[in-house]
Amino acid sequence: MKSRIPHVVLLIAGALLLSACYESVDVTRHEPGVYKGQADPLVKKLENGGDLREQLNRRFDGQRDR
Amino acid sequence: MARMKFLCDADRCIECNGCVTACKNTNEVPWGVNRRRVVTLNDGLPGEKSISVACMHCTDAPCAAVCPVDCFYTTDDGIVLHDKDLCIGCGYCFYACPFGAPQFPKTEAFGVRGKMDKCTFCAGGPGDDGSEEEFTKYGANRIAEGKLPACAEMCATKALLAGDSDMVADIYRERVMRRGGRPQTWGWSKAYGEG
Repeated sequence: MKSRIPHVVLLIAGALLLSACYESVDVTRHEPGVYKGQADPLVKKLENGGDLREQLNRRFDGQRDR
Repeated sequence: MARMKFLCDADRCIECNGCVTACKNTNEVPWGVNRRRVVTLNDGLPGEKSISVACMHCTDAPCAAVCPVDCFYTTDDGIVLHDKDLCIGCGYCFYACPFGAPQFPKTEAFGVRGKMDKCTFCAGGPGDDGSEEEFTKYGANRIAEGKLPACAEMCATKALLAGDSDMVADIYRERVMRRGGRPQTWGWSKAYGEG
């Protein structure tokens, strides 16, 4: 009986250790070709146009020969 | 909506490297990274031509097509930008790019390259416009300030044109008409297709 106790403890410890090897099977799936990063506020600014667009156009036009 | 493009007038470029210096200075690009460079063909021979090369912000960017983590995005104006928080520095984009634009800041053991760095058309990157974080990661955001990329604004001979494709094409057409020669829009068909 004395010799069985360590075996039981070992079995329980082994089972616990093995359970630590469990890996979650829930994988994060991403759609290919889709950007998943942080948003860029510049994109909205360019979409909205307004002053920024006019300002940029003036600069573009300024590239004509002096 | 504009379509941002670069055009280098090879007949005007005098290989002064002003664009390279302007880019490095404006964006505080680290040593070993060349977002823009001047390439000279037939150096020292009659008919020598120089071209200023950087990311061309392609219409159908091959870098974005091969990126395994999809860190690239394109603004409505056609500027191709990337997110350094997503980039894993694999280097696929470097192999895919026909212009050699993607740059990697580190050369260490075990192939560690660091996050990819490239020309942003002076439009920064994701995150707040004009923030310290954006500047550290991507450099200046001149577009948000209503300015052109520093390389084009600094070009002494106005060889390097940047901006809305219609305006850039119009300026170049005027020049070619005046010169009476054939246009040499290097890299355009490769970057932008027929459009």
